[in-house]
Amino acid sequence: MISFQNVSVRYPLGNVALEDATFEIEDNEFVYLVGPSGAGKTTILRLILHDLIPTEGVVTIDDIEFSSKKFNKVAELRQKIGVVFQDFKILADDSVFENIAISMEIKGYPENEIRKQVEEALSLTGISNKKMLFPAQLSAGELQRVAIARAIVGNRKIILADEPTGNLDPKTAWDIMNIFKKLGKSKTILFATHNTDIVNSMRRRVLVLKDGRITKDNKKGGYKQ
Amino acid sequence: MNTILTSLRRTPYQTFAALSVLFFTLLLSGGIFVTLTFLQGLLHYVETRPRVIVYFQVKTLEEDIFAIRDKVEATNKATEITYISQDEAYKIYKEFTENDPLLLEMTSPDILPASLEIDAVKPEYLPEIAELVSGMPGVDEVQYQKDIINNLLNLTSTIRKTASFFFAYLMFMSIIVLTTTLSFKIALKRDEIQVLKLLGATNNYIRAPFVNESVTLGIIAAVAANAILIGTMLTLNAVLTSFFAGIPELTIFINSIALQVWPFNLAFILFTLGVTAIFSLFITLISSYAATNRYL
Repeated sequence: MISFQNVSVRYPLGNVALEDATFEIEDNEFVYLVGPSGAGKTTILRLILHDLIPTEGVVTIDDIEFSSKKFNKVAELRQKIGVVFQDFKILADDSVFENIAISMEIKGYPENEIRKQVEEALSLTGISNKKMLFPAQLSAGELQRVAIARAIVGNRKIILADEPTGNLDPKTAWDIMNIFKKLGKSKTILFATHNTDIVNSMRRRVLVLKDGRITKDNKKGGYKQ
Repeated sequence: MNTILTSLRRTPYQTFAALSVLFFTLLLSGGIFVTLTFLQGLLHYVETRPRVIVYFQVKTLEEDIFAIRDKVEATNKATEITYISQDEAYKIYKEFTENDPLLLEMTSPDILPASLEIDAVKPEYLPEIAELVSGMPGVDEVQYQKDIINNLLNLTSTIRKTASFFFAYLMFMSIIVLTTTLSFKIALKRDEIQVLKLLGATNNYIRAPFVNESVTLGIIAAVAANAILIGTMLTLNAVLTSFFAGIPELTIFINSIALQVWPFNLAFILFTLGVTAIFSLFITLISSYAATNRYL
């Protein structure tokens, strides 16, 4: 379970990225983070990833508090989390297969297990025929599929998706959403987006953010601007 | 291994710079190390053979010489005393000058002095024995290795001090060059490192390819430097054989373990290889850790 208790992030010049956020996300829950740019969606994801330290409040995963600067098991924490970035962040010198496999190599999986899980992820994301290609040979949609495959292999319990359809055309965006649908209830997913059509395509819990505050927590799903 | 070689191939100039510096550092360090082991071996050889040589005036009677020998024996400070008569001295001289008949023609047994070679129980007795015999009748000159030992000690000490400074400088220079070279490579992969960190890679996982790469460079440099060193040793073998004529072997002791330095042998060559490899490993590990730490 992910838990935020009165979490705030303020920058030294007074900018507020997140203000007094309190919420809990159960295991295997799918949650949309919705709001305009600068609302605090990415801040929440970065806090979970320990890429940002809150100025106030406590963030925990499975009752382990890691919101302090002294937290020294960052790598261990991040190994539980798969991340899908808007700008993909795919390693340019590695093939599709290697890009996905690295997510498991980091965790020390044996080679045969890596091969098995990577093949499954390639199949799920529909890019089995591209596994030997390099990033420069792929389209944006294919790169995002690689990023999703990388996030789901290696038994990562939590998937953080930061505007994963933001750079994609509508058709590809829907294809990507279908992959997330296929992931079903096997993982905890936080999906940050400002695309209301995508949010309404799946009836899942929605956390609405505005100016760093959580303005609505719609557990039944659906969102109207 | 393929990944390492590909990475080295992709940055040929940086690889060449790092390899050159490492190679010269290891070659020079190896050369100094071999020189020092030889000097140490020579010093040990001389130190373990404390000997006083007493030369007599040419007309000294054998009875007088034997009387001196008996007096020295009575002190119990000598292990062995060898008498070299004028005829024996001429015989030895003939052996040394067999390739130069002119020198032999100019010499006769009459002009060569008889001598006593006194092997002392320990080096500390050398001055006492020398002092005892020097005032005795018929004694022309007394020689012992005090000067040789002092000279060797001074030389070894000077070379050791210079070598320490040199080692430190070479090591510092190599670490700086290697760290800078690796830093360039790491800077190019800064985004990649950031992604790996977000995926949960540990610092050691991120560091490993850079450490492996620099250690590979170190191994290549150590092998090349040792190939040159061994080649040089074998080339100089004939010169050293004539230089060390009469010395059957030179040995050094490392924590009471004997290592034969001369004549060249496999154990000594492997030891030199090991020392340069460890030195190279030290440089490459420090450099790769210093370079990667800036980005972790």
